[in-house]
Formats: sequence, C-alpha cells, structure tokens
Amino acid sequence: MKTKYLVTNAIVAALYVAVTVVVAPISYGAVQFRLSEVFNHLAVFNKKYIIGIGTGVFVANLFSPLGWYDIVFGLAHSLISLIAMTLLTRHVKNEWIKMAVNISMFVFFSFIIAWELKLAFDAPFWLNYGFVALGELVVMGIGMPIMKYVNDKVHFTQYMEGK
Amino acid sequence: MDKLIFGRYIPGTSWIHRLDPRAKLLATMFFIIIIFLANNWQTYLLLLLFTLLAVKLTDIKFSFFINGVKPMIWLILFTVVLQVLFTSGGETYFQWGPIMVTSQGLLNGVFIFCRFVLIIFMSTLLTLTTMPLSLTDAIEYLLRPLTKLKVPVYEIALMLSIALRFVPTLMDETEKIMNAQRARGVDFGEGNIFQQMKAIVPLLIPLFVSSFNRAEELATAMEARGYQGGEGRTKYRQLHWQTSDTIVMLTFAVLTGALIFLRN
Repeated sequence: MKTKYLVTNAIVAALYVAVTVVVAPISYGAVQFRLSEVFNHLAVFNKKYIIGIGTGVFVANLFSPLGWYDIVFGLAHSLISLIAMTLLTRHVKNEWIKMAVNISMFVFFSFIIAWELKLAFDAPFWLNYGFVALGELVVMGIGMPIMKYVNDKVHFTQYMEGK
Repeated sequence: MDKLIFGRYIPGTSWIHRLDPRAKLLATMFFIIIIFLANNWQTYLLLLLFTLLAVKLTDIKFSFFINGVKPMIWLILFTVVLQVLFTSGGETYFQWGPIMVTSQGLLNGVFIFCRFVLIIFMSTLLTLTTMPLSLTDAIEYLLRPLTKLKVPVYEIALMLSIALRFVPTLMDETEKIMNAQRARGVDFGEGNIFQQMKAIVPLLIPLFVSSFNRAEELATAMEARGYQGGEGRTKYRQLHWQTSDTIVMLTFAVLTGALIFLRN
C-alpha cells in the first residue's frame, strides 16, 4: 500500500518538526540537545522510516537560520548515518545492538556538521565535532530505552507495514 | 514555542514577495555559493549593501531579520572570538602565550561575522517572503530532471507538502498532550537531562498513536478520492516565471562578476 507508506512518512516528518519546535527550543547551533533526535531510532524498528526522518530533517532545517547550509549538511548527516546503520545491521535481529550501532553512526558522522561549520566559518573543527557528537550521544543514548518502550506500546513496524 | 515560529512567512505584496519562488530559491542558493568569493573588505561591503537592499525591498521590519540571528548568536560570537584570538599576521596589538590579537585576526573576525549575518539574512529573507507550500512547488520543479534517474520527485514533493501541512496541527497536538500530562503531574523541562528525557515517554506514546491514526485516515481518504501517484496530476497553484525573475537572475550574474573582479 504505497499511499500509506508515503503518508505515514510525511506525518513522521511533521512530528519530527513539531517535536523539534515545541519540546526543544535550543535546537540550532553548536551544542544541540535536540529531543527529536530520538526519532532516529525509528529506522531501527523499520528501515522504511528513513525517508520520513530525512524529510523531517529537511523541513526542520528549511527554517533554520543558516538555510541551505543546514539542509545539505544536516540531511547528509542523517541519511548517511541511517543508511550505514541499516547496511551494518542487515543480519542483526537484536534491537538494542541496532540502536547502539545507530548511535555510533550518528556520533561518528557528526564530523559532517563540524566540517560544515569549519568550511563556512572557519569554526574549530574538533570542538564542534565534540559538541555535536556529545549532543547525539546523550539524547540518542537516553533515547534507547525510551524508544524501545514506546515501540512495545505503539509497534512501529505494524503501522508501516499495515498489518 | 514563540522563539521559533514555524514557517516564518509574513504576507505582503512587495517586489520580493511577488517573485517566482523558483527564482528566490535559486538566487538564495546561489548567494550562499558566491559568498565564498568574498575575501576583502570591498567584496564584503558589496555583498552587505546588496543584502541590505534586498532586505529593504521586502518591506518587512528589520527586527524580523535580527530575530533570525538571535538563536545563532552564541555560535557566532564563539567562532569570531576564537578567530580573533588565534590568528597571526599583520600588526600585533597584544600577545600572551598562544593568545594574540593581531590586525589580521580582527579583520578575519569581522569577515566571519559578516559571512554569518549575510547568510542568515538571505535565508531569513527567503522564508519570510515565500509561503512554505510555494517553496515545495519550487523544489519539485527544480528536482524534476531527476525523474529521469527514477527519483520519485512527485512523491517527495507530496511528502513535503503533507509534512508542512501537518506541522502546525501536530504542534497543537503536542502542546495539548503536554498540558494534559502536566495536569496529571508530569514535569517537562525540569530536573537533569535524564529526568527531562524520561518525561517525554508519556508525551511520545499518545503522540505517535494519534499521529499514526491520522496518517491512516489520510491515506484512506486519498485513495478513496482516487490518488494514484504523481503521474499526470494537475496543479491548483501554477508557477509563472516573469521578467522580474529574469532580472533577479541577471543581477546575480552581475554581482558574481563584480565579486570576481574585486576579490584578491
């Protein structure tokens, strides 16, 4: 059911943006404790959510002060991390391991954001890498049990597959 | 929530408002590329004047543009201060170990500050004068060549439109659920980061459930009305490229030429 796949991802994207705006006002800048980063774990439960997360990042950054910069680099960061996680855990069933791999990918690829700031504003690379990586590590780390718990109640895969 | 008003579009009839969203999108993207050509005070001054002229043409109060800078102010100050303190070259005014204030450092600091402000002003200008849905239309149009590479451009554009349409709705919903849970004693935004994160569980579960139900209803409604994918769909909002849009493109070409001529 293609329409459902499309619409569900669009709504997930809208939810990502809404949570970014409403729950965490300090979302843009060097140190990000973006609560909506827990959404990245959705791809662990079903890889079809990747497109929704990507759309969410796109829309959220459409209104960021840096505009196109944040769109290109933010989208690259999320998509590359999520795809890397999916490829690395193709044969892994355990969701905890998949979430841990997901976090490592997001932490590692944070250099894309640090590189963005280095490239555009000659900002200190390692310092920003540290800030962004720390933000991802903390939020996604605490997000692990949270998303696991939410999944037990909501069953993300069922919604996407329509079972 | 008021800090980051979603979709900062301000209705108006200024010359910039009436431009084709495709022209505005292309121009602001292009601006972010040519800003890297600037490397001396002449080029930065030219870009500054150009941006201020564009801001003036929008008929929007200057304070709205300043508001765009505010959320970034710490990153900007931090970057500029480091730039000033750790750049060598030119006349040295002050030195203490590796920390120094030089004329080159001060100049670089000013340039970096200008670059931040210029990019933020241009990005803000785009979102202040263009409706989010017009932006999606423009993105869809500009991505259209990718359909040849089997990229589902229509589907991406539709997802963007639906997402944009539902952001305000879901923001309301999030607020409502937060208030409902507050009434039951949940403290949002209080305590350490662990406690703050834990507090979002009673927010996320009802939020996901109601959003997924909404998605299901929407998908059913779309199929009942005969949605069958992007192929052959007609559009309610048509885009019209006008002379003024061509003028914008030409202005940017001239600006690029001037930057190349003036830079070191």
